[in-house]
Amino acid sequence: MRWLPAFLTASLAFAGGSLAAKKTSEERFNSFHAKSIASSSAAPIKLSDPSYRELTSQPRDYTAAVVLTAMDSRFNCQLCREFQPEWDLLARSWVKGDKAGESRVLFGTLDFADGREIFMSLGLQTAPVLLLFPPTVGPHAVANPEPLRYDFSNGPQIAEVVHTWIARHLPDRPHPPLTASYVAWPYILPIIQSRNIWAALTLISILLFTSGHMYNHIRKVPYVASDGKGGISYFASGFQSQYGLETQIVAALYGLLSLAGISLAIKVPRIRDAKTQGVAVLAWGGIFYFTYAFLLSVFRGKNPGYPFRLPPFV
Amino acid sequence: MKTSAVFSALLSLLSLASAASSDKGSSKSTLPSTFKPPQVFKNANLVHVISVEKNYVKENINVVVENIDKKAQDEYYLPFTADQISRLGGVEVKDRKDTIAGPFVAENVEFDPESDTQYLRIRLPKPLAPGAQQTLGISYYILKAYSPLPAAIKQEEQQFLTYTFSAYVPSVYTTSKQKTEVKFPSGNIPDYTKIPGSGDIKEFPQKQGSKLTYGPFDEKPAGAYEPIRVRFEFNRPVTHVARLERDIEVSHWGGNVAFEERYTLYHRGANLSSLFNRVKWQQSQYYQQGATHALKELKFPLRVGSVDPYYTDVIGNVSTSRFRSNKREASLEIKPRYPVFGGWKYPFTIGWNSDAKNFLRKTASGGFVLNVPFLEGPKQNEGVEYEQVEVRVILPEGAENVKYVTSIPTQSISSADVEIHKTFLDTIGRTALVIKARNLVDDFRDRELVVSYDYPLSASLRKPFIVFSSTIAFFVAVWLVGNIELKFASAPVSKK
Amino acid sequence: MSAETLQVLADVGKGKSTRGVLRVIILALIAGASIASRLFSVILDPWFNFRATKYLVANGFYNFWDWFDDRTWHPLGRVTGGTLYPGLMVTSGAIWHALRALTIPVDIRNVCVLLAPAFSGLTAIAAYLLTNEMTTYNSAGLLAALFMGIAPGYISRSVAGSYDNEAIAIFLLVFTFYLWIKALKQGSMLWGALCALFYGYMVASWGGYAFITCLLPLHAFVLILMGRYSTRLYVSYTTWYALGTLASMQIPFVGFLPVKTSEHMPALGIFGFLQLLAFLDYVRSAIPSRQFQTFLWLFAGGIFVLSLAALVIATSAGVIAPWSGRFYSLWDTGYAKIHIPIIASVSEHQPTAWPAFFFDLNLLIFVFPVGVYLCFQELADEHVFIIVYAVFGSYFAGVMVRLMLTLTPVVCVAGAIAISTILNNYLVAKTPTEEDQQAAEAAEKKGTKSGLKSATKPVVGIYSLWSKSLMVASMAVYLLIFVMHCTWVTSNAYSSPSVVLASRMPDGSQHIIDDYREAYQWLRQNTKEDAKIMSWWDYGYQIGGMADRPTLVDNNTWNNTHIATVGKAMSSREEVSYPIMRQHEVDYVLVVFGGLLGYSGDDINKFLWMVRIAEGIWPDEVSERAFFTPRGEYRVDGEATETMKNSLMYKMSYYNFNNLTLEEAFTSENWIIRIYKVKDLDNVGRDHISAAAFEKGLKKKKATKKRGPRVLRVD
Repeated sequence: MRWLPAFLTASLAFAGGSLAAKKTSEERFNSFHAKSIASSSAAPIKLSDPSYRELTSQPRDYTAAVVLTAMDSRFNCQLCREFQPEWDLLARSWVKGDKAGESRVLFGTLDFADGREIFMSLGLQTAPVLLLFPPTVGPHAVANPEPLRYDFSNGPQIAEVVHTWIARHLPDRPHPPLTASYVAWPYILPIIQSRNIWAALTLISILLFTSGHMYNHIRKVPYVASDGKGGISYFASGFQSQYGLETQIVAALYGLLSLAGISLAIKVPRIRDAKTQGVAVLAWGGIFYFTYAFLLSVFRGKNPGYPFRLPPFV
Repeated sequence: MKTSAVFSALLSLLSLASAASSDKGSSKSTLPSTFKPPQVFKNANLVHVISVEKNYVKENINVVVENIDKKAQDEYYLPFTADQISRLGGVEVKDRKDTIAGPFVAENVEFDPESDTQYLRIRLPKPLAPGAQQTLGISYYILKAYSPLPAAIKQEEQQFLTYTFSAYVPSVYTTSKQKTEVKFPSGNIPDYTKIPGSGDIKEFPQKQGSKLTYGPFDEKPAGAYEPIRVRFEFNRPVTHVARLERDIEVSHWGGNVAFEERYTLYHRGANLSSLFNRVKWQQSQYYQQGATHALKELKFPLRVGSVDPYYTDVIGNVSTSRFRSNKREASLEIKPRYPVFGGWKYPFTIGWNSDAKNFLRKTASGGFVLNVPFLEGPKQNEGVEYEQVEVRVILPEGAENVKYVTSIPTQSISSADVEIHKTFLDTIGRTALVIKARNLVDDFRDRELVVSYDYPLSASLRKPFIVFSSTIAFFVAVWLVGNIELKFASAPVSKK
Repeated sequence: MSAETLQVLADVGKGKSTRGVLRVIILALIAGASIASRLFSVILDPWFNFRATKYLVANGFYNFWDWFDDRTWHPLGRVTGGTLYPGLMVTSGAIWHALRALTIPVDIRNVCVLLAPAFSGLTAIAAYLLTNEMTTYNSAGLLAALFMGIAPGYISRSVAGSYDNEAIAIFLLVFTFYLWIKALKQGSMLWGALCALFYGYMVASWGGYAFITCLLPLHAFVLILMGRYSTRLYVSYTTWYALGTLASMQIPFVGFLPVKTSEHMPALGIFGFLQLLAFLDYVRSAIPSRQFQTFLWLFAGGIFVLSLAALVIATSAGVIAPWSGRFYSLWDTGYAKIHIPIIASVSEHQPTAWPAFFFDLNLLIFVFPVGVYLCFQELADEHVFIIVYAVFGSYFAGVMVRLMLTLTPVVCVAGAIAISTILNNYLVAKTPTEEDQQAAEAAEKKGTKSGLKSATKPVVGIYSLWSKSLMVASMAVYLLIFVMHCTWVTSNAYSSPSVVLASRMPDGSQHIIDDYREAYQWLRQNTKEDAKIMSWWDYGYQIGGMADRPTLVDNNTWNNTHIATVGKAMSSREEVSYPIMRQHEVDYVLVVFGGLLGYSGDDINKFLWMVRIAEGIWPDEVSERAFFTPRGEYRVDGEATETMKNSLMYKMSYYNFNNLTLEEAFTSENWIIRIYKVKDLDNVGRDHISAAAFEKGLKKKKATKKRGPRVLRVD
């Protein structure tokens, strides 16, 4: 039973919390944080009246984000039900991405069924409500200890938007990104979810296919051929034939051109230093030009009637 | 201006001609089946010239007729077989002594369609007084006249044709003196019928180069017949156009006259005895300088100023054509897709445009006159014959009061109607004059067709008005549709 | 270059409406240019579609639906109405009727000739719309429209007169994708229904609709895997699938395939999977229990695995038809050559060598990955679509030359995104200031959520004017080269329809070799109306259309055995071929011979395929091996094998063939088409071979060879 210890800890903590209200801010954070990282589905912490009070009590050196919601079907709160999974996702991703608690954020959910008094005391008529309690002491302390209230007036909110909102109010702190999956694969997940890896895979396969790899595969073409004079002929003559090495050269040329294109489109405008940027433009632009010119000359070798060329490959 | 003079002269004829054309159908008097032409004439002297130089037969009968009746007579009959009369066309009769008088009216007599003998009736403009003489020049053409002998030859062999006719002119009257001359394309006439001579000539015919002469003969009774068959070399295509549809479309707004001609062409010469062989064909083209009985090329001398010619067939554009155009000529030379041999068929279409200025005039009274050639087929050395010709003059939408006159022999014109033709952007359809003719030959290439019509201003404004209003309607519709689309796009569908 | 002008114009017209008008005008110009660039030649091909359209126009829709064509596949005939994609014919028929109603009675032939260029204009507009869904740069859409309009990869199938299904299908493909993206973005049933409508139209038009049928579920599946399931996805997908499948089943040729064959199963599977997800989603929101959710996800996965297993079982049990051969050969690339040589024999089913890619797309082929990479930057649902489409499109295009056509749209879209991003970066007058720099520095410290490594830093801008002008100028040069390349390719390679061969004379003038039409016209005019023509199937549609004569086999390769019969007749000795030809009442045999001109597309070059296809049916009688010399060479000269020399095809091509059963009837000007007449039986009913043998005093020893009923004709 994975959940049993967590459950025990939680209940113990609740018991402890209610008894020892005089715990320091540091202690409170540690206990709640321990609870939320205890299991993959422990965050956000399910709060009740006393634990809510404990969590939000001042002084605090951490941020607390609490959703006050009404999940009971009696209230027929459509918005609550739609937001809950988003909130869970946000809290879990955050906690998972910040196991050490460096961001010093705690996530909690208070259902109306568990915290009727709190709802009364806050005078809440609608749900859900997202409250963000800023720290009052410590390095991130803000002047106004009052919680920030998130606006649900635009209908249901997705996790990304709320994440941005929270992140905006927590400057200078790490913001663990949203992770989509609910299953914890701590090692595979970053790889599977890495855009860089997927982008690389996609581009490599596109380059393979567009440089005639499938033709090699189906026709079983030779890798290189002799040119009849003892040398190696890299490029097959004729428009409808090719060698294995030839396609690799072409794929490399395409790859170089694409890389230059990507650099010019994405990287260069992001270089802050003017001089470095100038050098980069010149370098990538030059690479693009010469590779393209070379490619044209290679193509002219395949198709002698082709009229276009770029210097210096004439 | 010479042309304008011709125009006015023709114009004056117009009213007369249209009247003639309207009652022409009824003038074909149906005679009783027992009809025999009355023996009221005698052919005092007759020369019959048969020309087989081209791929149709042209016959000329120059005859001095004498009225032997007691009353003045104006109907002269010429007999033909039923088969001949169906292939007979282009009959023109003139007074040899009085060339200004214009052609006489000649027409087929309808009486017993079953009878083997049919008549052509010539009306003399003035009844001939008893005992008086008149010199008639009768010319006509016979199509599909030849049969090749041998009927099937090899690709590289020479083609020979035969033609059968009578040594004595077929006549319903007694002929006192006559002579028949036959003209051939070359002197190579391997076979011809020989008959005993008369007078100091022992045997007919007499051969002079490419000409055979039978006669002179002394008096022969009506209906005398002596079959003669000649077989002669004709190493050229026997081009036969079974049907020609010629459209002439007049556009006032475009200032353009568009011509389109659709030919159904056959070669009526000797068939190939073995199937076509490309090697032999290419050899013969090389060694014999192209002398062949296959049809290789057609030349169309068009009117100067013709532009944008096209040459297609049912499959699409044919790339083997040449068009030369300059100030003096506009010549379209086309090649069939394949050499056309005897028995083969090649239908095709050509067309071209021309500036309306070249053909269209406005008259003082506000009407329009269109003067176009009736026929503009190919001009070939060996000649071209047309079995059926349908000329369709498509006038602008709303044209009315259409009249025409043509110098094509009336005997060849079988019908002329005004119809409605619907095409681009028409609401009521265009007025179209459809003239059907039969048994014509390329000798009539230069004959004119003059059409006069009225084209009121309201009719000419109809089209721009309709185009304009429908364009406006289209834009309104687009605007409406655009508005609807705007509504689609602006409705946010994100309510969950 | 156009992109520059676009930008300049966009800067000039600052007002919203001015820009809108400018955009419409530019778009109209692009559409016009794409139509104009396709008018180099006007020869209708393939003729079958034209013939079918004429039939439709002449006999009405319902007769067309029931059309039984007895002039093809003699003596079998073909249920044409039920075995074709009617979209193309119905489209041109509808246009024809509409024009007539507008009092513009154009010839149906002209409608057919100009249909492809007209639709290419629409494709350009559809590409504009699709690209606009991907990016906020307006110039990207216009560039995509321009690329789509002139990319040779698309022009190749849409020049004037190219009257094939692809003529309208590519527009439908791009537009269906656009509607799909629109539906997905908005979660709209309206757009989903429109998408289904155009999908139905696509199904009615082209067999390549399977590409959509597979790509949309794949996109949905990838989105689900990425945890992007949403009600938007649910609504759009289910609307599209339900309505689209119903629409596609209305086409007789498709019928119940969408629920019976494997290539349609992914769509069905994702449909079911989405239902499950929706259900789970509902449960999850109703019962917010964490443990239960975990259980439910396991449950969902279990169901998915189970249904997959059920699918496999149903397929192996034969309830669901396995992958059709044509489709399967895309995956198992060696399959077609062994099992379905007819498919493998078509030149456009060959794999694509790299020059073909460069030839058809030039610059775009390497700008394309840049655009795909840019899609990873934002990675919204629609960008996932482009990525999925890009990978699969390039795979298919690599396997089959013909599928270059389905790749071209995504290349144009991605290429336009890339180039417009570059131009948008370098074609701005503004130079970054100190503040921008500092803001960027500050932003960098905060970090952004973009997952791409190269895009983690914030955009600053380009500082120096010279680097801007250098880049813009070089881009302009590249785009100029692209335009010139497209013009060159179009005018040189794609504007000579297969039926006309154009060559250049030494003096530079164009010489047209029109042998095909010469021979077809001869057949049409100078043979009997019902003379049966035997030829290889490549020429079936042309003979049926241009020569208007019944054929044994044609380009609709529905009956492999019949084609193999023709292959056998062509590749066997005369003694074997003659009875086959008599049985099928063949009057003429048509072969294509390129020997005189050095024309490589002739029958001798296709001959091995005839042998292979015949061997597939009669392995005992025809053997491919026998056509190769002992050294394993395929020779057609003096060293050809005996089997080769004795084959009917070889004799008809090379010999001055004046022998016993066939006689030369017509040879075209450049010898490309040779037509032979099949001799009749002689007076006593003997065929010529036995007659000749009898005269030589030989015994009739081949009596055993002639099995099967012989159709004797009494003339």
